[in-house]
Amino acid sequence: MKALLTAFFVCLIASSAAGQTQLRFVTWKPETTAVWEQLIADFERRHPGVKVIREVGPNSSTEFHDLVTQKLRNQDAEMDVFFMDVIWPSEFAAAGWALPLDRFFPVAQQKEFFAAPIAANRYRGHIYGVPLFVDAGVLYFRKDLLAKYRLAPPRTWPELVEQARLILARERDPYLTGYSAQFKQYEGLVCNMMEFIMSNGATLWDEENLKSTLDSAGAKQAVRFVRDQIIRTISHRGVLAYQEPESLALFTQGKAIFHRNWPYAWEVANDPKRSKITGQVGMEPLPAFPGQKSVAALGGWQLGISRFSRKAQLAWEFVEHMTGREAQKRIALATGRGPARLALYHDGELLAKEPHFRELYETFTLAAPRPITPVYLPLSNIMQRYFSSAVAIADSDIDQLAHLAARDMDRVLSLLQGGRLP
Amino acid sequence: MRNGRDPIWRFLLPSCVFVLLFSLYPIVESFRLSFYRLILTLPWLGQRFVGWENYRDLATDPVALNSFVTSLVFVAVTTPAEVLLGLGMALVLNESFRGRGWLRAAVLVPWAIPTVVASQMWRFIFNDRYGLFNFVLFGDATERYWAPLAEPGLALVAIMIADIWKTTSFAALIILAGLQGIPAQLYEAASIDGATAWQKFRHITLPLVKPALLLALLFRTIDALKVFDLVFVMTQGGPADTTNVLQFYGYKKIFAEGMVGYGSAIAVVVFLLSLILSLIYIRLLGARLLAKERSL
Repeated sequence: MKALLTAFFVCLIASSAAGQTQLRFVTWKPETTAVWEQLIADFERRHPGVKVIREVGPNSSTEFHDLVTQKLRNQDAEMDVFFMDVIWPSEFAAAGWALPLDRFFPVAQQKEFFAAPIAANRYRGHIYGVPLFVDAGVLYFRKDLLAKYRLAPPRTWPELVEQARLILARERDPYLTGYSAQFKQYEGLVCNMMEFIMSNGATLWDEENLKSTLDSAGAKQAVRFVRDQIIRTISHRGVLAYQEPESLALFTQGKAIFHRNWPYAWEVANDPKRSKITGQVGMEPLPAFPGQKSVAALGGWQLGISRFSRKAQLAWEFVEHMTGREAQKRIALATGRGPARLALYHDGELLAKEPHFRELYETFTLAAPRPITPVYLPLSNIMQRYFSSAVAIADSDIDQLAHLAARDMDRVLSLLQGGRLP
Repeated sequence: MRNGRDPIWRFLLPSCVFVLLFSLYPIVESFRLSFYRLILTLPWLGQRFVGWENYRDLATDPVALNSFVTSLVFVAVTTPAEVLLGLGMALVLNESFRGRGWLRAAVLVPWAIPTVVASQMWRFIFNDRYGLFNFVLFGDATERYWAPLAEPGLALVAIMIADIWKTTSFAALIILAGLQGIPAQLYEAASIDGATAWQKFRHITLPLVKPALLLALLFRTIDALKVFDLVFVMTQGGPADTTNVLQFYGYKKIFAEGMVGYGSAIAVVVFLLSLILSLIYIRLLGARLLAKERSL
């Protein structure tokens, strides 16, 4: 039966691809489609007889992960190249789903990229993805509103809260919110909360000893701050259901004073077709707690090749094309996403159009990765549950919740240690 | 031409193969996997037989227990609501009046909309800034706007409302079919005997529509226990894990975390729960029905 079905599908595929090699690229829907289509058309022009099929998945990282891993679990030979969120390569590598790219992508070439995403793409000494662009959390603010009240961009979280309260009190606009960010129970919540925790000098985990550090005093203090000073004071309740698009929409409609997002938001907020606040947008590194350093969560996307692809060589040529200097520059020019290649931050043409990349360079260099481990997804689900419970409920018992979350994380991490023993 | 039972088997074979392949095999496989520790992202741990370990872990997993309760609450609220409202709708649709055909078609619209689309629509309706829900309740008084999907106490209610809206018409359809099977003579006879509308409903309609009610209850209970898409689109289990129904938790375990053994144990529990509830329904209502028929 199985053989029969396979034969049937093979015939189906063969007949549709007659005379042409297909390369299937699984991607999410980009904000700006034209540049992607042009880049793919360029690749097809250089490789006559090759047709790149774009399979468009969901925008949310969590949902995209489920789509890609389902194909990988089923050893789907149809998928050749796919996008990887910066938190997935070690998972895909450990599971044997991503093709090691060492023979195509030697260490010397890896040095042309930011170190943090390269580290995230390495697992047990091999490399599994090529970074396309890097992301890091940044603070956006309304320059006009801050100027109106003679305020300088906030350096600390308490300062941000204080400024937001002042502006909210004076503006008396019921639509206006102080801080718009991503507090829904999903992956973005981990990024937002880790920025608060790490800019209070604390951490999510102890990488050496494979132990959770969520129940440290500093981590709990940061979580408590978000619950008491952000959610209940300067933000409206709706932020607890917001992902990036909703929180950005609020900001571009002129209804938020401060906004935390990834660099792509700069382009959107300054596009007159999509934003009411063009020219009034400021961008700064995220604040820190007094006496501590600002920390941005490292994000970004890489291209990986499926181990089950039968066209590894061609797939690599596609990856090389899409992550090359020219392609990254064009993507950066069109979308405002930060290129993963270091050299582009000295590119005169790019800096002339996107001067804010100059400031982003340092943010990208210092951005902190989420735990790099094959069990990141289970850890993330535990953290999402904890953070959401801690900040969404006004009188949540943070000590108890943090203790339970740390215990659950330790249990998952102990699987890794157990796995090392024969 | 007929010799023995062979031809019948030949006709039945395709559907048997279909059921075996697509229903029985996955169920048996889920049972089998639930006794193993299999973590896709840690392949070096292998696929180790662990007996009842996954089920023991499940019994002491506070997240799973919370999901279990959430699922039961969801079933306990939505199922009776859907069947009762469905009964009401069916009674109206069973009357003859102008435009009945149109109304019957219109009632089916929510059921015909794919759940994912309906979920997305309800997500917009419940939006805290531009949602229709807030506009209807508060109009321009935006400072009073609610964020139902952001409130731990309201998110599950919001999902229940979406589910009831979506599937009441399905219950109504089944019940309507039951109503149409009731012979008109019974009502005529009752009218001659001077029965009131309530008496007719109580002593003719209700007993005779019971099999259809049972069927609607059964389908809705099983479906509600397995609710997934509404949660997936509207809340992803949040806020504060208050909408993390059992089926969604199991999905997360298998598909996001790669914990196939543990996730399968959750799937088996959901399966057994639906099975037990179905058996209870059939026993309770079915037995009473049979007893009535015998006494007639």
